Amino acid sequence: MGKVKCSELRTKEKKELLKQLDELKTELTNLRVAKVTGGAASKLSKIRVVRKAIARVYIVMHQKQKENLRKLYKDRKYKPLDLRAKKTRAMRRALTKHELKLKTKKEICKLRRYPTRVFAVKA
Amino acid sequence: MAPKKTAPKPAAAGSSKTEEKKKPAAPAKEKGTKDGKVEKKSAKPAAKPAAKPAKPQVKKADKPKKDAAKAKSKTASKKAAINKAKKVQTKVIKGAFGTRVRKIRTSVKFHRPHTFRPPRNPKYPRKSVPRRDRMDAFNVIKYPLTTEAAMKKIEDSNTLVFLVHTKANKHHVKAAVKKLYKINVAKVNTLIRPDGKKKAYVKLARDYDALDEANKIGII
Repeated sequence: MGKVKCSELRTKEKKELLKQLDELKTELTNLRVAKVTGGAASKLSKIRVVRKAIARVYIVMHQKQKENLRKLYKDRKYKPLDLRAKKTRAMRRALTKHELKLKTKKEICKLRRYPTRVFAVKA
Repeated sequence: MAPKKTAPKPAAAGSSKTEEKKKPAAPAKEKGTKDGKVEKKSAKPAAKPAAKPAKPQVKKADKPKKDAAKAKSKTASKKAAINKAKKVQTKVIKGAFGTRVRKIRTSVKFHRPHTFRPPRNPKYPRKSVPRRDRMDAFNVIKYPLTTEAAMKKIEDSNTLVFLVHTKANKHHVKAAVKKLYKINVAKVNTLIRPDGKKKAYVKLARDYDALDEANKIGII
């Protein structure tokens, strides 16, 4: 079959990926049967290769899926929780930039009336 | 003929009073005509649109029954008018208050009243994509057993023996074997070995031979 490469998998469509996944999995079951019935060494060493190939297919599938979902929800107000920024729990609960900037009318008046003056003293 | 002639006349007049709302055109027709023959004709169409109590009256042409029915319809309309007048009266007297009626309580207990509970309609799914199913056919069946006891089962009892995922149940095993090897299963027995793995004895249906299937799978 040749080596399964992620770069090649990314060019494929979802249906093709699923088909490849099925093929790899059947191959794995055959190899496992061979292991039980005392198969050749070449077959036994191939088990790991096939397992990793299956993992690669899943990786590419999920990456594509997530990318498409992010595109779908790009400019929407409400996004699913796993598509929102992760940051940290505390940071997510902190005040937003806009909320920090807000001032009461009293405060605005004060700042306008008594701004901090900056002087320069002539030498 | 004479009483019959007079009968449809008052009936038509009576029905016209109560059925004014239904057909404003028809009573005008009846009132205008005074000819005997034309009245009969008009009485018939009047009887048709008129309510059912009016129709049998015209057919039977019984004066007291007719009067009673006319009186009933009159009192019914009077009652409605009276009720309406009462409502208006209370509104006038009490202003914006005093129009609500007290609820009739039929039990001494008070239960929380049922409020409207709409079904869920989320603005966004909490998870972008649901989790994929981990118990697919390939994951359920790990591999077949090739011990001597397992071989005996293949020959004698038409069953195949598999090692199976510990979380799989008999339904999972049946479906997985059907999908992977395309054979019909009669029943599945499972047990958990002392080393923690699950063993499944899969008895095949009558029209399948375990020996052939084992050869196809590769265990022999």
